Amino acid sequence: MFSQNAPKREGGGFGDASAAPEVVRRSRYPTRLSVYADPPDLEVSIEEFEAFALDRLQVLRSIEDAQLRAKGEEDIRKRVNEALEKHLPLHTNRSKLPPRQLVAERRKDHVSHFILRLAFSRTEELRGWFLRYECALLKHRFKEADIAEKQELLAAAKLKLEHLSPAARETRLGNASLFYPPQEQLFEVDFERVLDLVSHLQVVLQGGRAFVPQSEVATLLLHEFRQRLTRALAVCAKALPQMGEDERLLPVLQNLSSQTARSEYQSTGAAGAVSADNVDALSSGFPLCMQHLHTQLLKDHHLRHGGRMQFGLFLKGIGLGLQEALVYWRRAFGNMTDDQFQKGYAYNIRHNYGMEGKRADYTPYSCHRIIMSNPPGPGDHHGCPFRHFSTDRLRAALHRDRLTDAEVREIAELAGAGHYQVACTRHLEVKMQHRKAQQQQTSDTETHISSIASPNQFFDLCIGDCKSNGSKQSHDRDVQPVAPTAAASLPPAGLQKGPAYSYS
Amino acid sequence: MTREETAMELDDDETAELSPMTLGVYYRRLFPHNAYYKWLNYNAPATSTEFTHREFSFTINDGIYLRYQSFKDMGEFQRELTRLSPSKIDIGAIFTAVPKHAKSLQPGVFRPVAKELVFDIDMTDYDEVRTCCQGGSICSKCWRLMVIAMHVLDRALREDFGFSQIMWVYSGRRGVHCWVCDERARQLDDAARKAVAGYLSIVRGGAEQGKKVNLSQRYSHHPHIARSIEIIEEYFEDVLLVDQEILLTRERWMKVLAALPDEELRKTLDAQWSRRPDRSSVEKWSEMVDIVEKRASKRGAKFALATFERDMMLQYAYPRLDENVTTHLNHLLKSPFCIHPKTGRVCTPIAHSQFDSFDPFAVPTLSQLLKEISGGNGDPAADKSQEQSQEQSQRSAKSFSSLVGYVDIFETFVASLSPSSNTHTSQSLEF
Ligand code: SF4
Ligand SMILES: [Zn+2]
Repeated sequence: MFSQNAPKREGGGFGDASAAPEVVRRSRYPTRLSVYADPPDLEVSIEEFEAFALDRLQVLRSIEDAQLRAKGEEDIRKRVNEALEKHLPLHTNRSKLPPRQLVAERRKDHVSHFILRLAFSRTEELRGWFLRYECALLKHRFKEADIAEKQELLAAAKLKLEHLSPAARETRLGNASLFYPPQEQLFEVDFERVLDLVSHLQVVLQGGRAFVPQSEVATLLLHEFRQRLTRALAVCAKALPQMGEDERLLPVLQNLSSQTARSEYQSTGAAGAVSADNVDALSSGFPLCMQHLHTQLLKDHHLRHGGRMQFGLFLKGIGLGLQEALVYWRRAFGNMTDDQFQKGYAYNIRHNYGMEGKRADYTPYSCHRIIMSNPPGPGDHHGCPFRHFSTDRLRAALHRDRLTDAEVREIAELAGAGHYQVACTRHLEVKMQHRKAQQQQTSDTETHISSIASPNQFFDLCIGDCKSNGSKQSHDRDVQPVAPTAAASLPPAGLQKGPAYSYS
Repeated sequence: MTREETAMELDDDETAELSPMTLGVYYRRLFPHNAYYKWLNYNAPATSTEFTHREFSFTINDGIYLRYQSFKDMGEFQRELTRLSPSKIDIGAIFTAVPKHAKSLQPGVFRPVAKELVFDIDMTDYDEVRTCCQGGSICSKCWRLMVIAMHVLDRALREDFGFSQIMWVYSGRRGVHCWVCDERARQLDDAARKAVAGYLSIVRGGAEQGKKVNLSQRYSHHPHIARSIEIIEEYFEDVLLVDQEILLTRERWMKVLAALPDEELRKTLDAQWSRRPDRSSVEKWSEMVDIVEKRASKRGAKFALATFERDMMLQYAYPRLDENVTTHLNHLLKSPFCIHPKTGRVCTPIAHSQFDSFDPFAVPTLSQLLKEISGGNGDPAADKSQEQSQEQSQRSAKSFSSLVGYVDIFETFVASLSPSSNTHTSQSLEF
């Protein structure tokens, strides 16, 4: 468990495992909780493989959902417990369940973790998502566990801890020792290992070392788990290409990781048609100005006022209702505390929906307004790329939208000559042609549409076209997000998304 | 003194002086290239990836941003700086590859890996505290809030986190930046930066929240809190009570009383002060402290009363950080020795020994510097004739302009930096 000079554990040595029926104790799974140190023997049928993994995925998604929508800690706890009970129950050794069932539950927990590890190692975004919610799951389970189980888990994690003797406590800490309860055991670690505690001022720091009370050792456990899982995911990512040889496995894995993408878009405009979850999936149909704001928001977890107005009202226009808008922006502004968000931004969002202030129902901005008024200043991302970007940046943005060199040149020329909306219209036409070509329809007929007057019109035409033009399947493929929505709050790895600036 | 007399509006008084031409002169003759290069190269014997893989961003002419600028050595940096004459330089992270090639690299291959741990304290975040100025302006009275902030943070970074290579920089207008350059600090990931920022942010809550510091009694034993209070106590009466008069008018004292968690005491004090509004803030403060202490010692009193004085001192004087700047590895911050685009002042380092004596109004502006080096007429055209002996003129310009003291501070700091343990010279990693 701890290093040599660590104190002896309370209780009778074997913790909860001693309460286990003989069969369970002798099995691979004597304890209920695991830090997944060793892989399972993968003697799993393909059906089991998929079913296990889907169940675990349900749990991780419920955690994400609960964190976004639940009202307070207790509600989160309840929701997560419900999901676990339904999809991934794990009973204690003290429960009177048949031993075989206990072992089966634990095996499922073990195996499903490793399958998802593999499935989610594919991209950095997926890895980040998986890591975040596996850590949340372990944290939850640790909190819910009894003392014996906690100790077993700590023992299994083999944490290296330096224990502070009472004498050292006096000399090292002096008065600061009074910050902790007098009898509490303290451990000394680098502050980087207990960031949660550092961040909430729950530990005394000295020269970069943190003094961690016994009651907070879970933070160390989680840190260790996160580190190890991060490394394990990186190893998996390298191993994944070799998995391609097994044709049965790969599609299952791919399907699993794309499961984080949410329900599809239904209709344009009607409030409530779009949920917070599918904004990202729909972004391929955004005009350039909105693509830019969306990308910046993902990257910086923030947008300045002009950007929030332009993008927020656009989202409202495509059918993101008030409640969903609050969820979406809360998640997008992932770096801020709930308090900051409620105080600084929620009002504004409700205001846009006519729920505060003058109670005017604001409508999305037109291109004219975006182009003519309130030009973006340094650090602002609103405005119209055809009007407000340098030629180089405009070209780069169009290239990113997978336009050919000739198309980019043509559009950049239109923009350069001051025909911003014509350029934007041309951009849409080109996008639509590309899509037809992809669906092997005749692409030699030029697509002509009426001139774009608002970002919402662009979106409606773009999405409408994609709906009418293809079978449902091709629609699905198109709406398939580049980045899974689940990862919306993670920093995407793209280069084009510049970091935030600071001014003073 | 009235507000009009003390406040000094720093906005827009210099903007006209910033042109590519005047900036060109500045970068050619005054900018401390050498020390600057040594700083970001971390005193490595040859040019290292710390320098070559560092992102700079230049703002040129009409607010055009040039992102992902990078330079292969000091010569190129110096040439480009003079050629582009940016009105603003931002320093970003060190990346896995040369930032200039960012566009041609696969996403994921090009990632930020290190950067100084930085802090940004802006006087506008003190608008609910200070009464002398608001918004963009500062005066010598409210500047002392920055002095407190520097003392508090500097000691926490040294004593609690064990950092030692810390540079403070005047932002050129109404705030300060802090660059923690220790290798351990440079290696921190976003989560760790967020935690450090969280640890150092004590004052929380928006404008409509009365009490913004909520720490239980045991925090009086936490070294960071105990030490911060000790520092603040030295200044509190002078800065907050005498200079800022935070209890002078009813409007002001109601803000303080709003944080008092006892309805009855609030009413008593309000009535008492309304009867004698002419009493000074010092007197009112001590009355308040007395009455709160008395109540706190009674049985059944709210815990929050016992810590009220401590918490209010923190609320009014503890540093207010812009956490966003600190938490992201990939966040750019204005560079030292830039010219502030609004005030024309140079962003100069502040020595540790001079937190209290540093005077933001004594910091030279670009136009002042140009006058000094051109012998008083400030005509940048005159500089042209000297071009042949550029190096000579550069040396002499640096040594007699009023920038020299600040450059000294910077050079001393840079000389104290230890080279990175895992420094790669650019040859060994270039591909
Ligand atoms: S023309 Fe209109 S829709 Fe197109 S990018 Fe500009 S503002 Fe957006
Ligand atoms: Zn002032």
